Amino acid sequence: MKGKYYIQSAAAISPQESFSGPFVPQLLTLADKNLLRIKEPDYSGFIPPNNLRRMSRVLKMGLVAALQCLRNSEVSMPGAIITGTGKGSLQDTERFLKNITEYAETALNPTPFIQSTYNSVNGLIAVQQKCTQYNSTFVHRGFSFEHALLDSMMQIAEGNADVVLTGAFEEISDEHFYIKSRIGYWKKALTQPAELLTSRTPGTIAGEGSAFFMLGSKPGNHPLACIEGIKMVYKPTQEKLHAALETFLAQHEITPSDIDLLITGQNGDVNHDHYYHNLIVQYFPATTSLPFKTLCGEYDTASAFALWLATQVIKEQGLKKILIYNNFYGDQHTFLLLSNS
Amino acid sequence: MAERVFITGIGMISAIGNNVQENLRHLREQKSGLGYTRHIDTIHRDVLPVGEVAATTAELAAMAGIKELPGYTRTTLLGLVAIQEALRSAGIKDAKELPTAFINASTVGGMCDTEKVYFDILDPNKEGDFLNYIDTLDCADCTQRIADETGIDEYVTTISTACSSSANALMYGARLIQQGLVQRAVCGGTEALTRFTMNGFNSLKNIDKQFCRPFDQQRNGLNLGEGAAYVVLESESLVKERNAQILAELSGWCNTNEAFHPTAPSPEGDGAYEAMKKALKMSGRSTADVQYVNVHGTATLNNDVSEGIALERLFGSNVPKFSSTKPFTGHTLAAAGAIEAIFGVLAIREQLVFPNLHFSEKMEELHITPETQLLENYPVKNVISNSFGFGGNNASLVISKYEG
Repeated sequence: MKGKYYIQSAAAISPQESFSGPFVPQLLTLADKNLLRIKEPDYSGFIPPNNLRRMSRVLKMGLVAALQCLRNSEVSMPGAIITGTGKGSLQDTERFLKNITEYAETALNPTPFIQSTYNSVNGLIAVQQKCTQYNSTFVHRGFSFEHALLDSMMQIAEGNADVVLTGAFEEISDEHFYIKSRIGYWKKALTQPAELLTSRTPGTIAGEGSAFFMLGSKPGNHPLACIEGIKMVYKPTQEKLHAALETFLAQHEITPSDIDLLITGQNGDVNHDHYYHNLIVQYFPATTSLPFKTLCGEYDTASAFALWLATQVIKEQGLKKILIYNNFYGDQHTFLLLSNS
Repeated sequence: MAERVFITGIGMISAIGNNVQENLRHLREQKSGLGYTRHIDTIHRDVLPVGEVAATTAELAAMAGIKELPGYTRTTLLGLVAIQEALRSAGIKDAKELPTAFINASTVGGMCDTEKVYFDILDPNKEGDFLNYIDTLDCADCTQRIADETGIDEYVTTISTACSSSANALMYGARLIQQGLVQRAVCGGTEALTRFTMNGFNSLKNIDKQFCRPFDQQRNGLNLGEGAAYVVLESESLVKERNAQILAELSGWCNTNEAFHPTAPSPEGDGAYEAMKKALKMSGRSTADVQYVNVHGTATLNNDVSEGIALERLFGSNVPKFSSTKPFTGHTLAAAGAIEAIFGVLAIREQLVFPNLHFSEKMEELHITPETQLLENYPVKNVISNSFGFGGNNASLVISKYEG
């Protein structure tokens, strides 16, 4: 997808101080687990107390990041709402699974079942904003937020929407952290974010977060950045990945030296680190790179945090072009090209 | 002008058959697939009817040509059986021959298998084959296994918008084609029955203990079903280039959100009305051009009122023949949109209108009643297929006869 898709506003809830106040990236200190949790904002300014009590964790962080993104924009009614989430509401899924066993399939409370549905955050945003337009949710690991973006860009290219609210949300529960530890997702020894990239061990540290963007065909009053293109590559060899990068850059009539900043999904996992390492050695040996997962941890839709990070640094550092390259456990790889206008 | 998008292949498995031909035969014979589960361990097994695929998971694996079972969920295997037929039907021997998109739909991924071992997974003292199912907890697992078995890799993703998931998968694939990102997309959904979902819908008091009775005054909820269905979508230029058979045209689509309530439609059917109206407008057809509507028709109290009112609002006093095929298949959730889109293709190809089983009494809120007879030699040229879901996610597709 080529074209210009302006990010008119953004909002993120993450392990960083990203939601309110000036953002200063911090390498956080982990106490006992390889897991970075979000800094929970005060949700009460967004959701009435009665509703707040009923809502599970990811619903709150998804809805509130979306509402903050709307508040930061000049848009009250987006032309579409499109999101990505790899796991949806883990808390509700776990709760309903347990309730089924505990109460022997009788007299079950339907709320966790309803909230475990992957599109429940989208439904909530739509109800809250009375937005009856196109509404969809992608649920595909490291291609969840990416397809939400691509779909948003297509909605704009098709002329169906001038502005699209797009974003992603993901939580990590203790239970799910344990489950994934059984198949090697996380590092075995406690590893601090500051040591993540030099640890030379398998696995990484878990994270979570929610980020939303108002994407428009026009810049709006205060555009943060502009999406120029996106390219996804599924389970590539290193050669195929490099070929895809070359084609992608050529389509946008730029070369690697035009990239001012490379934001990478490097996560210190020796199983998949070669993708980043080889790509940087071959194409970006002298380019400044910013590995973002030391800030937010690894999760299916961590790339949404990377995009938010890009919107924070592009103007501030006077950059013209940023390339984000991320992969999720070596299966889903994505290049995202941004410009400052 | 965006390119036209054609349906060139179809494949499916449901409670009424392991392929398209068997499904069609049972539709013609008016033979419902509803019954009681043999595969789910639940206290509801003799109480809540379901539309279950007869084959065991091991039998599905044999049908799909999978030898090493651990890690392949029933969701994946249902999907593999259906996609293999869809590719064969489109005359595609090697899906890798062209950059192709695989747009899948799922509501609970591999829950059918993970729910059986979930508490073993949580128990640090237990080890075993069940650890192979950890990654099948999400919706992407089935999609990737199906993609990897067929070799499709240009775009691989999964949509989850509850009961409208696979209708949205068809739309998304068609749009990727229109944007020129691919020339071919295989789109649909797969859904296996689970104890999780049965208890979920039962806790909402949405399941009828009798066989479901869509659009009937006495209806009292849905019956869940399982199955998978995929269509092969291709651009007009690709179809011409390879001289492919055209089964039908996907001529219009629309996705709207009701923004009304998390699990209930608006009483006036606003979302259903808008979805059908805009899909029809996109197709360039008028209401008079529609001969058959395959309704969402879950037989829940709310859905059928709002969908019926939406039909009356859109078509006035000339509502075309309509029926819900869910009394045949059960409500297959993420697979429903694709299964029913294929029924739409069959209605056009075979010139049939399928009967709405189990109907006897007109709803007091409506002036209209569904078609209860099998209509042969019925001149079906344009079909609307509806899929409406939780979260207010509504989707309508228009499927049209190809006439050049």
